[in-house]
Amino acid sequence: MLHAKIIETSKEKIDILKAEEFLSSANFGAIIYFVGTVRKLNENKKVTGITYDARDTMVIKSFKDIYKDAELKLKIKDKAVYIEHVKGYVSIKEKSIIIGVGCKHRDEAYSLSRFIIEEIKKRTPIWKKEHYANKESEWLKGASIQL
Amino acid sequence: MKITVELYGATKDLSKRNFLEFEINKNSSIKDIKIQILDLIEKSFKGNQDLKKLIENSAFCSEKDEIISENYKINEDQKIGIIPPIGGG
Repeated sequence: MLHAKIIETSKEKIDILKAEEFLSSANFGAIIYFVGTVRKLNENKKVTGITYDARDTMVIKSFKDIYKDAELKLKIKDKAVYIEHVKGYVSIKEKSIIIGVGCKHRDEAYSLSRFIIEEIKKRTPIWKKEHYANKESEWLKGASIQL
Repeated sequence: MKITVELYGATKDLSKRNFLEFEINKNSSIKDIKIQILDLIEKSFKGNQDLKKLIENSAFCSEKDEIISENYKINEDQKIGIIPPIGGG
């Protein structure tokens, strides 16, 4: 069971309660939330916020592919995964991504959560433009997309 | 033929419209599109090395969101996307 969505920050925010509702099940003994947030310092530059850009359809496709791959590689059968990533501007301390996973046991939940975030970093077409206290801004370098 | 290249991330600095359009010959490849973009950088961005490097390190995708190789042939008007190095999370 997968929930995958892009959150347009001009319209809404990531809401952990919605993830909690989605993952609530008597089948799961372990539920983990990974939440990525915007921090105030990057490479000695004072960050005020980040604008995220995304190719929406490809992002959702990559989330679905990662979910399928997790099934093949980690062989975790009973699970629920909740992924949301923002698009648009977010200030420091605000959430940019949430990955919620529900599994029978904690070992599976930790592995699954870690697998998903690492694969998103490698495969999901999302870009960050950092904004700094001195009013400058720049696109972060990133890494070439992997298939 | 007309090809539209949708821009993402840092490649958005190439146009205020978030896309580029090129007239190309039938059977042109992604490699040819790359050359056209590099020409544009040469002419309109004083050969900016950072932008050139960005294009060299970018992938391209089809309308169906499949990553396409440099040899992919374009035989009709279509939209493709340029995928510069990524960094979500």
